[in-house]
Amino acid sequence: MAESARSDILARLRASSSPATKEQIEQELVALGFAGAAALPAADHCIAFMANVLANRGSVELAADRAEAVRVVGRYLYNRFRTHKLVAGNDPRIAAMPWRDAGVLPRFGAAENGDSAALSYARLGVAETGAIVTWTGRANPGRNNLLPEDHLVLVNREDVVANLEDAWRRIRQDLPAGSWPRGITFTAGPSSTADVEAQLVMGAHGPRRWHVILVGATPTEALAEARALSGADAT
Amino acid sequence: MKQTSHAFMQHAEAALADAGKAQRRDLLGLFMPLARDAATARYGDFEALRAHLKRVRTHTTNHLDHYLARFEEASLRNGNQVHFAATPEQLNNTVLSICQAHGARRVAKGKSMVTEETALNEQLLKAGLEVIETDLGEYIIQQAGETPSHIVGPALHKSLPEIRRLFLDRHKLGERSLEQVEDIVAEARSILREQFLQADVGVIGANALIAENGATMLVTNEGNGDLCANLPPVLIVCTTLERILPRAEDAMALQRLLVRSATGQAQTCYTSFYSGPQRDDDVDGPLETHIILLDNKRTDILASDYSEILDCIRCGACLNHCPIYVGVGGHAYGWVYPGPMGSILTPLLSSLEQSNALPNACTSCGRCAEVCPANIPLPDLLRDLRQEENQRQLNSPRLRRGLRVHAWFLRHPALYRRLGAWTMSVLGLLGRRRGALRRLPFAAGWTGTRDFPAPEGGTFMQQYRNRARGGRRRG
Repeated sequence: MAESARSDILARLRASSSPATKEQIEQELVALGFAGAAALPAADHCIAFMANVLANRGSVELAADRAEAVRVVGRYLYNRFRTHKLVAGNDPRIAAMPWRDAGVLPRFGAAENGDSAALSYARLGVAETGAIVTWTGRANPGRNNLLPEDHLVLVNREDVVANLEDAWRRIRQDLPAGSWPRGITFTAGPSSTADVEAQLVMGAHGPRRWHVILVGATPTEALAEARALSGADAT
Repeated sequence: MKQTSHAFMQHAEAALADAGKAQRRDLLGLFMPLARDAATARYGDFEALRAHLKRVRTHTTNHLDHYLARFEEASLRNGNQVHFAATPEQLNNTVLSICQAHGARRVAKGKSMVTEETALNEQLLKAGLEVIETDLGEYIIQQAGETPSHIVGPALHKSLPEIRRLFLDRHKLGERSLEQVEDIVAEARSILREQFLQADVGVIGANALIAENGATMLVTNEGNGDLCANLPPVLIVCTTLERILPRAEDAMALQRLLVRSATGQAQTCYTSFYSGPQRDDDVDGPLETHIILLDNKRTDILASDYSEILDCIRCGACLNHCPIYVGVGGHAYGWVYPGPMGSILTPLLSSLEQSNALPNACTSCGRCAEVCPANIPLPDLLRDLRQEENQRQLNSPRLRRGLRVHAWFLRHPALYRRLGAWTMSVLGLLGRRRGALRRLPFAAGWTGTRDFPAPEGGTFMQQYRNRARGGRRRG
């Protein structure tokens, strides 16, 4: 049954498709080029990225380096949950951070139902949409983005790209041939729904809060500017 | 689901009689276009983006045999099992046999219009499986035993009190208030979280299939589709041939158009690219993944004059901007796909005999074509279907006679104009006092529910001539 469906469908498509060689099709495709990206709210990629994260109902903090990132994460966990419990994938970048300094002892591995907070180290940030990019694997199991109440994300300043096409260019660069992961996800906000009376509610199935920490030397005025651009209040 | 598109007029009348629901639809009809307009304006040159995707789509459709073969090859290489289904039954049977092969009992589903089209749930339930819809809107209507009224917001026709009563009735959880939308969402979250954890099979749809790498793109805000794709040990992606795009960048262009047109966002909370089963480096994810490619007459549509409808990306903008859809709601259309896109797809996927009322549910106002991110000439396709309906004599003999009379007058423009001007002045005189007419011969369909405004100020041709003359004088 299935095999006949396959050959039947392919035969029908061959009949309705225009005849061309592989090379001609490839040339035609290259000539089409790529789409234009959305206008950025600010010329500086990091400011635009932060403004869009805020517009996506995420929250943003700055950390000059990994030591400060540890303190920022510790403070966030204490303020939110009065604990220092955290789950994180086996990302060497996270493992190498001085967690003891902030009293945080991450459990390394996959998130479980009931975990309050998970930390991911994003591969990329995308200024155009305020998204962060992760892929599945030991360093960030797929469920870590989805099961916890709060999803915390570290992203390096130098990993913030301008737009979605640049993001794919980097993904292709960073993933050697044959090592394509099971899943690549662009996350742009806490899990949300507007299915009841078109009213937006956070925490539909996944994280209720999404906290992005931009790691690297960023002046605090940049965050203030991003807040002003996103329309979020400056508190 | 049983198709009842032939009864569109009766459904529509019943829908209009429910004032509360009609008011909710009016509000959505005002609010959704505003969200879309703001998002397209923030993007910049949305027209150029639309035109770009149209070119990519046309190229892909012209060489769909090539890209389908590439997609199949790449997704097989990724470790998927790829199945082809010519008919809805074949898709449903394939899903069922995968479930049975694993001795599965529980199926968790992400939002998928394709499986609405094939009525997959009915089939799986009949076979004794538990099927749970996990998109909040789909979950609500599944609990209510209803069908989606909108392709993006399936339960937007239901009010908070209705959903509250439904949840109190369905979930035996004791005394609780459930008075806020947040309470409803929280209750559904805790119930569905258990379902995700216990499911044996996850079923999701796809917003795009990428030929170069064999991945499927899934766009959601709730993250329910991602939970279906990451937690159960078996994943089945149910999709159709026309979702194929050549490159990941093309899927991003589509995503830019889709999300702005659907909800007014720049990107949804989750945009995921799934390529297959667990890799060596994975500690979670499905052990086995299947992709089922459904045809269901799409290869016929591709070869027909209606092929452009296959460019539809299921954003729902044409629904939100259609005065008929906003007026009568999605259920009036009597099948899975409502609004302008549905009025074209339904006759093509079923038959024009069963659904000839739908292409007539159109005022030719053109708003749908203006906002369609896939640049589909929806009003033209609807008109072509009406023409086909007339040629195949599926409409009423009375209407055909009327059309013949109309056509005769149009071929005699001098007479048409004179008669038009005479009718207008008579109607203008009759309705002078009230400014409107309560009753009109041959127009009971109109005057049954509202007054007909009395014409004033001359016919179109008279005004056109006056203006042209005035223009010349001024110029």
